[in-house]
Amino acid sequence: MIELNKQTFELNKPIGYVVGGGLEANLQVRLTVPPQEVQEGAFVVIDSGTWRFYGLVTDLQLGSTDPRFADEQSELRLPAGLAGLLHGQTLFTNLNVMPVLMIDRGPEPGSLGYEAWRQEHPEDAAPVTVKTVPSHHAPVRLADADDIAQIFGEEDNHNIFCVGHTREQGHPVCLNLEKLVQRSSGIFGTTGSGKSFLARMILAGLIHAGHTATLIFDMHNEYGPDSISSDTSQAVPGLKGKFGSRVRLVGLGAKTDFGKLPADFTLEIAQSDITSEDILLLSEELNLNETAATVLSALERDLGDQWFSEFADMRNGAMEQNEDGKSVPAPDSVAFWANQAGVNAKSAEALRSKLDRVMRKDYLVRSTATRGLQEVIDSLENGIHVILSFGNYGNDLDYLLVTNLLTRKIRDRWKKLTEDSYKDKGKQPRPLVVVVEEAHKLLNRGMASQTIFSTIAREMRKYYVTLLIIDQRPSQIYDEVMSQLGTRISGSLGDEDDINAVLSGLPGRSALRGMLAKLQPKEEVLMLGWGVPMPIPIRSRRYDARFWQQVLGSQEQPKTIAEINRSLGFEADDTD
Amino acid sequence: MSEETKIPIGKLLRADSRQFVAGCRVKELETPALGALCKVKMEDGSDIFGLITNIQINDDGLVKQLVSGLSIPSEYTADNRYNRNLPVEIYVLAVGFQRAGRLYHRLPPRPPLSLDALYLCDDAELVRFTNSGGYGYFRHILRLEDQPVEELLVAHLAQARAAHELQGNRDWYGGACQELITLLRDDYPRLMNVLNALAELE
Repeated sequence: MIELNKQTFELNKPIGYVVGGGLEANLQVRLTVPPQEVQEGAFVVIDSGTWRFYGLVTDLQLGSTDPRFADEQSELRLPAGLAGLLHGQTLFTNLNVMPVLMIDRGPEPGSLGYEAWRQEHPEDAAPVTVKTVPSHHAPVRLADADDIAQIFGEEDNHNIFCVGHTREQGHPVCLNLEKLVQRSSGIFGTTGSGKSFLARMILAGLIHAGHTATLIFDMHNEYGPDSISSDTSQAVPGLKGKFGSRVRLVGLGAKTDFGKLPADFTLEIAQSDITSEDILLLSEELNLNETAATVLSALERDLGDQWFSEFADMRNGAMEQNEDGKSVPAPDSVAFWANQAGVNAKSAEALRSKLDRVMRKDYLVRSTATRGLQEVIDSLENGIHVILSFGNYGNDLDYLLVTNLLTRKIRDRWKKLTEDSYKDKGKQPRPLVVVVEEAHKLLNRGMASQTIFSTIAREMRKYYVTLLIIDQRPSQIYDEVMSQLGTRISGSLGDEDDINAVLSGLPGRSALRGMLAKLQPKEEVLMLGWGVPMPIPIRSRRYDARFWQQVLGSQEQPKTIAEINRSLGFEADDTD
Repeated sequence: MSEETKIPIGKLLRADSRQFVAGCRVKELETPALGALCKVKMEDGSDIFGLITNIQINDDGLVKQLVSGLSIPSEYTADNRYNRNLPVEIYVLAVGFQRAGRLYHRLPPRPPLSLDALYLCDDAELVRFTNSGGYGYFRHILRLEDQPVEELLVAHLAQARAAHELQGNRDWYGGACQELITLLRDDYPRLMNVLNALAELE
């Protein structure tokens, strides 16, 4: 079969011809080669007249002109030659092909009408969404490398980034990174489907291309430092080791550990950076009641920027005796301030006790030794990528508080940069991609309303800020966020709800559903959505030394101290 | 003049546009076979081609008397066979014609006339006729009713295959089988009968 495969592919022979179907019901193609030579998801090309159609095989069906031909084991009854002839005639395989794109190629180059047509169409036509169908008996063939390059682009080690290869022929399939970051996107797949490696590769592509900045919320400390694969026990290079100073490792709080690598800086958040908006977004998590908003606005109005620290200093329920021997709120108590500020003392006390959880966070400090928050934003503005590790702070409150606060600041900054660029006709801000791992924690139905991410997914495209969501349970992510995802790259998913979530809002869902369910774990992914010209299942690129060599080239890789020592003639052990 | 035109196998008794019947003497009966390609040369220089679909030997009064007799001397049998009054009838299905050197797998414009001579085609002519214009003449055969079409096909394909293979063309037979499957793929019983019959050739 391998030999057969080679022959079909090398000669680029037709594999069948169109026998029926339509745009709605997909095209039916009679297969003229053994069915094993074509797989579900194969990218096929159909030439009909001056048009070339591009489609995706969504199903293969065995058929017969009469069911009796199928029931009868003709191989036992007839000589092999005659039985073989029945296949393809009375017994056949039909391909279900979903037509996706078409392109007007004009008359054959060199033919009479070609020159005239070329003058009318001086530029090469771009593929458009399919709006008609090829004629009956139009030949169908598997796409070759040129066809795939025409649709998905040709790798340029910059914007057009190879993410994998077609499953049958192994032609490279690329992703346009510039287009990818124009809208929010998502990488999905069950545990062990290879999504983290894929995410690393795409991030490496983005960092290498250099036209965007990425802020990675790294929940499990796996993107920055080198690690060991849990499946293969092989070393997995992190982004910091490969990109050196172009990536900054930031640890939340002073205790975050990046293994052998030192953190570039630690992120401590000044209490003065916290606004009432940040706290209100945590309403659900902190179980705040309706009066909290009134109290918070009074706090900000009354105490200014320092409201959080001053509120923290107030004692809850502290009383003292006045001159008349009556028990009254002490001057440093919450109730005292509430009475002064004209808000309900009980509400203020309730808020204070609920904020205790936040106030105890040791990464929230009165005054920061460094300008951590600002430094993160400045880095991003200058195209330095930031990997923020949560270290030991792994609960929902930490995620919500820090991601919200940071992204709010980013949103404000990028909004201003964009508006400035409109006013002064200056340079547009650098596109920013906020990478959210374990996104369902922050973007589930309950939380999405508490975070700023749904706003980013919905509105921030205009201000050059988009999300890259990495998750294993897409069905847990808020529908409104999912519907905003332009590009979706999914590894194998088992759960029906997850599959539906990944396909939500896309045409041809029913055809793609089966394809998504049958992806090979660790090896295959399906790319679909706005950012890719057409859905396509691919064998994803391997995240290994060869990948890095192709991306960085051998000379660009920064050397580790151990490597430099070794090249100078010192053994690694000598450095200890 | 080619060799085959020297082998007349009979003279026409009657004809219509679709088939004609030739009479021949018993001693001429050794050459024609079921499914063989034969032709009638017309006065205008054209040829009408046909396939032998049936060979019929009718009885006469004398045969009936002889059959009912107790014993028949062998010279009587020989005399009745070779000097009988009624000819052996050869039924030929018209499958095409040749005019001005070009072959057609259509019915001839006019049937041949009575007493026209019927000749057997040789291998070269069989190959030439069956090679021309695909397998279009199969339709005339498949249209036959009340006749063992499968047997006729097998008999014809066996002769044609041998003739083609003698010339080194091994693909003709496969193509013919493929064509029959295409033509009969919606008629399961008939196709299976044809294929079962063809299985004998393997």
